[in-house]
Amino acid sequence: MGLLAGKRVFSIMALCMMVSLLLLPIVVALPSLAIGEEAPAGDAAKKDGDKVEKGRDVYYKTEGIVVGAPAPKTVDGPRDYPRYNFESRVLLWFANQQHLYYGSFVLAVPIFCMIIEFMGVVTKDKALAKRYDQLAYDFIKISLTAYSLTAILGGILIFTFLTLYPAFFSYLSGIFRPVMHIYALMFVAESGTLYIYYYGWDKMKEGFLKWIHLSMSVILNIIGTLLMFLANSWIGFMMSPAGVDEQGRYLGNIWHVIHTALWNPLNLHRILGNMAFGGGVVAAYAAYKFLASKTEEDRAHYDWMGYIAMALGVAFLIPLPFAGYWLMREVYAYRQQMGITLMGGLLAWLFIIQATMIGILFLSTNYYLWQAMGRMRGAEKYQRYIKYLVFILACGYMVFITPHTMVMTPAELKAMGGQQHPVLGNYGVMSAKNGGINVIITTTVLSFVWYMRGNKVSTVSWAKFGNIFMGIFFACAYFNIIFLAVYGYYIPANVRVGLSVPQVATTLSCLFFMFALNSVMMKGAKQLGPIEWGKISARSQYALIMLATAFTWMMGLMGYIRSSVRLFWHVNEIMRDNSPWAYTHTVGFAANMISFNVLFFWITILFVFWLGSLGAKKVPVESKAGIPGGVPQPAASH
Amino acid sequence: MGWMALAILAGLLVYFQVSISEPAAKKRAVFKTFIGIVATFLLFMAIANYKNNFYGENRLLPVSLVMITVTTFVMALYFTNLSALLKIGGLMFFVAAFLSGYGNWLPQVEGGFPPVEEKKTWDSMTPQQLADEGEKIIFGGVGKNKEQGAIGKGQCPLCHAFHAGMLGERAPNLAGLPGRGKERLEDPKYSMGNPSKREYEAKEAFPGSGTAESAQEYIAESHACPSCYVVAGYGVKGTNDKQSPMPAIHKPPISLSLPELAAVDTWMYLREGIDAPSFEEIIKSYEKFIPEADRPKQADEKPAGATSLMADGSEPIDQIFAKAQCVSCHTIPGIPGAMGTIGPKLEEGTTAAQRIKDPTYKGTAKSPTEYIMESIVDPSAFVVKPFPDNTMPKVFGQKLSAGALKKIVDYLSQVKTGAPPPKI
Repeated sequence: MGLLAGKRVFSIMALCMMVSLLLLPIVVALPSLAIGEEAPAGDAAKKDGDKVEKGRDVYYKTEGIVVGAPAPKTVDGPRDYPRYNFESRVLLWFANQQHLYYGSFVLAVPIFCMIIEFMGVVTKDKALAKRYDQLAYDFIKISLTAYSLTAILGGILIFTFLTLYPAFFSYLSGIFRPVMHIYALMFVAESGTLYIYYYGWDKMKEGFLKWIHLSMSVILNIIGTLLMFLANSWIGFMMSPAGVDEQGRYLGNIWHVIHTALWNPLNLHRILGNMAFGGGVVAAYAAYKFLASKTEEDRAHYDWMGYIAMALGVAFLIPLPFAGYWLMREVYAYRQQMGITLMGGLLAWLFIIQATMIGILFLSTNYYLWQAMGRMRGAEKYQRYIKYLVFILACGYMVFITPHTMVMTPAELKAMGGQQHPVLGNYGVMSAKNGGINVIITTTVLSFVWYMRGNKVSTVSWAKFGNIFMGIFFACAYFNIIFLAVYGYYIPANVRVGLSVPQVATTLSCLFFMFALNSVMMKGAKQLGPIEWGKISARSQYALIMLATAFTWMMGLMGYIRSSVRLFWHVNEIMRDNSPWAYTHTVGFAANMISFNVLFFWITILFVFWLGSLGAKKVPVESKAGIPGGVPQPAASH
Repeated sequence: MGWMALAILAGLLVYFQVSISEPAAKKRAVFKTFIGIVATFLLFMAIANYKNNFYGENRLLPVSLVMITVTTFVMALYFTNLSALLKIGGLMFFVAAFLSGYGNWLPQVEGGFPPVEEKKTWDSMTPQQLADEGEKIIFGGVGKNKEQGAIGKGQCPLCHAFHAGMLGERAPNLAGLPGRGKERLEDPKYSMGNPSKREYEAKEAFPGSGTAESAQEYIAESHACPSCYVVAGYGVKGTNDKQSPMPAIHKPPISLSLPELAAVDTWMYLREGIDAPSFEEIIKSYEKFIPEADRPKQADEKPAGATSLMADGSEPIDQIFAKAQCVSCHTIPGIPGAMGTIGPKLEEGTTAAQRIKDPTYKGTAKSPTEYIMESIVDPSAFVVKPFPDNTMPKVFGQKLSAGALKKIVDYLSQVKTGAPPPKI
C-alpha cells in the first residue's frame, strides 16, 4: 500500500515537473512580454542622448518612445507583392481558412473532452461513467490527427504570407516578434500536454490519477485558449491597431499592441464560435458513423454521441449572437464607418446571408430535437404540438431575414418607391429583427424543455403548479418579445436600439430559469419508457450534417466579413494595401469561395475520420464494454 | 485527366463484360460501371465549369456544385457500401450550392479600389468648380447629392444627412450648417476663446490652436477636431457626449487634403445659395487647426502606388480600354472610339475558341478566357494572320491590375461575331 502511494506521489510529482518544464519558456518570456521593448529602447535612448523620438499611440493616445520602423508604403511590384499567375489574396484566403477550421476544431475538441471526462468522473452510474470516458477518448483521438494537420496548415499559411506578402508580414512580425516567439513556445507546450494527455489515458484512469489526468485537460485548454488569444491579437491589430503611432511605428508597449479595441470581444466570440463549430463537426462525425453502422449497438453509441455533441454545440451557439452583438458594438465604438460598412454598407448583404444561416442552424436544431423525441416512449404527446412550433419558427425566421435599409441604385429606389419596401420594409426594423431571432431562440429552448421531459412525468408535489407556471412564463416571454418588437415602430431609432436589452433578457431568463426549473421538476421523475438510443430516424442525422455544414459555412462567411471590412488596408488606417487586389470581391464570388473552402475542409476531415477509424479497429474489445443498449438515462444526460 | 478517368472506367466496363461469367453479377457490375461513367462525366463537367468561370460569371459556379450533388446521390443509389458517405457528401454539396447560389442571386456589389489621387490646380478653380469637386468628394459625383447610398471619398453620408427633413440618426443633419456655425460659437459649452474650460475629450485641435472665431473656422475645427465640441445627443455612447464618433477628417482612413476640405466646404455654402469664403480663406481656417506635419500631402508628393498602373480596375470597361490605348489599334464592338485597324477586330467570344484549335497555335490556353488573358500578357503566343508579330507591347501584364485584366477578359469573352455587343 505504502509502495503504491509512493508511486502515485512520484508520478504526480513527475507530471507536475513535466508541465512546469513545458510552461517554463513562457514564464521566462513573461517579463519581456510585460515590459515589451522599453528596456533596450531606454538604453538606446541614453546612448543617443537627445535623439529620442516620441510618438503618440493611435488608440490609447499615450506617448511612447518610437522603437520601430514606420509601416512600409508598398508599391505594386515583385518586391512587395510577388505573385504567381493567380490572385494572391485568394491563395491566402484559402490557406488561412483551412488553418482556422482545423485550429478551431483542435481547440474546441479538448474543451469537449474536459467536459465529458468530468461528467464521467462525477457520475455515479459506473456504466455511464465508462461511456463518457470512452466518448472523451474517441474525441481526443480524432483531434490528434487533426492537430498535425493544423500545424501543417499553419506552416503553409506562414509560407504563403512570406512569399506573397513579404512587406506586410515583415512589418507585422517586426511588431509582434516577442508574441510570435511565445506563440511558438506555447505550441510546444500544447503539443507536449496533448501527447501526455492522450497517451496517458489508460495509465491514469483510476482514482486520484484520474483527477490528475482531468487537470491536465484543464491545462491543455488553458494553453490552447491562450494560443488563440495571441493569434487573435494579430487580427485585432490589423482591424483596430494600437500601440503604434500614426506612421505605424511601434512605441514599445507590447501590451497595447495586443490589447486592441477589438481583442476581447474577438476572443469571446471565437471561443464560443469554436465550441459551436467543434460540436457541429463531432456531431457530423457521429451522424456519419450512425448512418454507416451495421449493428444496433453501434447505432445506439453514435446516436448518443451525436446527441451529446449537438447539445454541447448548441449550448455555445445560443450565446453566440450576444457575443456577436458585443463585438459589433465595439466595432461601432471604435470606428463608426467600419460598423456602417459592415451592417449598412458594402458588406450588408453578407449579413443578410448570415441571418439566413442563423435561422437554418436553429431550424435544424429544432428539427433534430423533434426527431429525437421519436426514440422516447411517452414523448408522443408532444408530437401534435410541433406544427405550432414550426409556425412560430417560420414567422420569426421570415421577419429575421427581411432587410430593412439597403444600399440601392436610383433605379431600384424608384422601383421600390422609397428607401424601404412598402410592405416588407416594416419587418426589417432592428427591434422586429431582434424579436424574430429571440422568438426563434425561445422556441428552441421550449423544444429542449419538451425533449428533456419527453419520457418523464414529474413526481414532485407541486408538479401541476410548476407546469402551469412554466406555461405562463413562456407565454409571457413570447408576449414581451413580440410586444417590444411592435412597440419599436412607435419610437425613434436611437431609443429603439435599447429595446434589444429587455428582449435578450427575456430570452436568457427563459433559457436559464426554465432549464433550472425543469431539471428540479424532473428530479426523480417517473419514466414512461426508456430512451431507445439508435432508434432515431435517419433524417435526424442529416439534420446534424446540415447543422455542421451550416456552421462551417457561417464561420467562413463571418471570417470573410471580419477580414474584408478593412477594405484597402492591410492594417487599418496604418498600412495601405497597394496590391492589385485592394478591392472587395462581390458577394457571389465570396459565396463561391466560402463554399469551396467548406467543401475542401469536409473532404479532408473525412480523410481524418477515416484515419481515426483505422486506429479504432485496433482497440481491444474490452474498451467497448458498456456501450449502450437500452440503459435508462438520468435526466442529466439529456 | 478527365478523359483518362473515363477511359479507365470504359476499360473496366469491357473487362467486367468479359471476365464475369455469372449473368446477374455481370449485369450488376456493368450497370455500376456505367453509373460511374455518368457520374465521372458530370464531375469533370462540373470541375471544368468551375475552372473556366472562376473569374467569369459567378452565377454559373453553383451549377457545378448542383451537378456534383446529383452525381453523389446517383452514386449513393448504386454503391450501397459507400452510400452513407456519398449521401452526406451530396447533402453538403447541396447546402454549399444553395448558399453559393443565394450569394450570387443577391445584388452584386464590388468594393472599388482606393481612390486614385489626381493632381488638380485647386487655387485657379472658380467657386462652382470647387463646389463640384466638393460634391464629388462627398457623394462620388456631381449631382449625386440626392441619391440614396451615393458616397464619395469623404464618406460623409455614411453618418450625416444633407437635406432638410431627413433624419440623421448617427450624426447631425448638415443642412443649414453655414448659418448654424455662428450659433454654435455662442453656445456656452463651446467656450469660445477659452478652450481650457471645455468639458470635451479634446480641449484644442492641437496645443495652442485656440478656438474658432468665425463660422468657417467652426466648420474647419469640427473637421479637424471632432471631439473639441460635440453636438448634444451625437457623442459616443457612454461618454455623455464628451467624445465624438467622427474621425479627424485629415487623418486616415479618410485623409482629405486641405484643398479637398476647401472644396467640400465650398459646396456646403453654394448649395444653400450663400457666397463661400475664398479658397485661400478656407485653407487658412484649416491651417489654424491642422499643424503642418499633420496635413495630408498632395497626390504628386506621394510615392507611386497603384497609380503607376495604366488602369487599376476601378474604372468602367470603356475607360480601361481607353487608358490602356487598346482602342487605337483594335476595333472593339461596343466600345466608343475603338475603331483601330492595326490589330485584329476583337470578337473573342467567337474567335478565341477557333484560335485555340488552330494547328499553328502553340500557346498554353485551354479555354477562351485563358486565351484572351494570354494574348494580352504574351501577345506573341499566337499572332493572328495577316498581322505582324511584335507590334503589340508586352507590358500589359505589368501595367494593368488584375482587376482591370479581369474586366477586359470578361468583356471580350462576351463579344461575338454578328451578335449585339455586351452592355457596358
